[in-house]
Amino acid sequence: MTRFGYDERSAALLVFPVLAVLLVVAAFPIIYSFWVSLHDIVLTRPLRRPFVGFDNYFRIFDDARFWTAVARTTVYTLVCVVATTFLAVLVALLLNEVFPGQRLLSALLLVPWATPSVVNGLMWKWIYDPTYGLLNGLLVQVGLLERYRVWLGDPDITLLLIANAAIWKQMPLAALLMIVTMKAIPEDLYRAARVDGANIWQRFVHVTLPALRPGLMLVLVYETMISIRHFDLFLIMTQGGPGDASFTLSWLIYVETFRSLRFGTGAAMSYVLAITTFALSWAVIRFLGKRI
Amino acid sequence: MKKPLAPRVTRAILLTLFSAIFVLYVAGPVAWLVSSSLQSEAEITRVPPNWLPQNPSIANFEAIFSAADRVVTYENRRQGEALTSTFLPSGAANLLPAMRNSLVIGLWVAALNLLLSVTAAYAIAVIDFRGRRATLYTVLATRVVPDIALVVPLFLVIRNLGLINSLGALVVTYLAITVPFTIFILISYFEGIPRDLYRAARIDGCGHGRALWHVYLPLSLPALVASLTFAFLTSWNEFVFALVLTQNVAAQTLPIIISGFIMDFTTSFSFVNAAGVIAIIPPVLMAVVFQRYIVSGLTAGAVKG
Repeated sequence: MTRFGYDERSAALLVFPVLAVLLVVAAFPIIYSFWVSLHDIVLTRPLRRPFVGFDNYFRIFDDARFWTAVARTTVYTLVCVVATTFLAVLVALLLNEVFPGQRLLSALLLVPWATPSVVNGLMWKWIYDPTYGLLNGLLVQVGLLERYRVWLGDPDITLLLIANAAIWKQMPLAALLMIVTMKAIPEDLYRAARVDGANIWQRFVHVTLPALRPGLMLVLVYETMISIRHFDLFLIMTQGGPGDASFTLSWLIYVETFRSLRFGTGAAMSYVLAITTFALSWAVIRFLGKRI
Repeated sequence: MKKPLAPRVTRAILLTLFSAIFVLYVAGPVAWLVSSSLQSEAEITRVPPNWLPQNPSIANFEAIFSAADRVVTYENRRQGEALTSTFLPSGAANLLPAMRNSLVIGLWVAALNLLLSVTAAYAIAVIDFRGRRATLYTVLATRVVPDIALVVPLFLVIRNLGLINSLGALVVTYLAITVPFTIFILISYFEGIPRDLYRAARIDGCGHGRALWHVYLPLSLPALVASLTFAFLTSWNEFVFALVLTQNVAAQTLPIIISGFIMDFTTSFSFVNAAGVIAIIPPVLMAVVFQRYIVSGLTAGAVKG
């Protein structure tokens, strides 16, 4: 018996191209980034790039902007995750019913999912527009609002308005996952609950909700993973403003790296964000891993 | 046994109500974008806003598609009237080339993504080899790092290779995004194919290449379509990497050009909205046409267990 049989040689051959690509565009940059984060690299001063150890990391933790960004990111991520999950369950409850038009609605559900994030940002920025936007026009016409407001210019609600755009786009995928989970609930459970005299609300709380747990777990963790790293909407809608009202970690990394050109600290910040995300996502990998 | 009338009426009313809210929420914003793109700048800047275009016109779209023919000089740069939306941003001529770039990159990514993922997913799902689990975890782990964290080192690497502003660099980068997820989808699909078919093929003398080609691929067409669509959409919609890794119209993609318009204060609203509509049409069409495959593909991992 040879050490590597036909199976193993074939597998190596089949897997090699993927690993090669991922090595070049994912693994190597990740390692290289760590090297960069240990050096004081500023692009405006290209020749001097001294090794500074973990100074960049200490510098971040002394940086007031970093803690602002952590606070903003936390609020934003929480809002996105909770609202997305809540809406997804509602939508799934609706689309899991059988009624005329249900197929059409299911097709519509994919529209936000397929919308490019840049267009999503453009669309909502236009809706929020202080002078010509739909939101002001609608609320004033209906009488809910007395006079036009500068929506995105209000530091108290900017983050929520951006989150709203994000939720609109990421709700469909979460809803699809919830629908699949709901479809897997045996009809017998509902019948048994009816026999026991449970009303619709009791059936939801005692049958549907417990059965949704695996799907909910997946959605919660996945939404956390992607919301924490959102960037596109911030660049397009507010650029971190007004003031520092929407100054999130992703935005801080972008500003530090590509505006201040401080690649060393930028890379260190990236590492902090990556490790945070990794810790949160470890659950996902384990969760998904169990299924394979 | 037919249910009594009252609950059925209540159910119908509730379903109609929630359906209406759903449609307004999901389609409303897009409908408003489309409506805005069909209005002239004078119409669009009216207070209160026009819900529907009074005189629907495709002038904005014509302007986009004819922008390349216009030569903008110092003398005629102000000729266009902002009010009639003939005033074009200086970058308007870049829209069509950017669309071409997006299309070329998207097709390459879709094709290469499928090729790479199918082979790797087959190996991981079907062949029992040493390091199978480690390979899977390595592949999935690369997606855990946020894009914005990858973008910095990737920028440095690609700059040192002199590949900034090349379509190839973007294609390879996007593969890193799409491949892990596609492999994940395909593995769950391949594992659903009866193992006996594989054994029979092997007994008949098929190697792994032929087992993949003659047994697994024909049986997983829906997953393959889902993978192609998913990869194209991801590539078409991607923004952060394209922003950092491209510098001019030779490689810039549609989202980059559009984001440039959004941040340019002189650009007319109607024009930007029309550009947005153009960018939204291909992905939405694909999503609706391939709806069934996409839904089964996206949720493939969640159904099991």
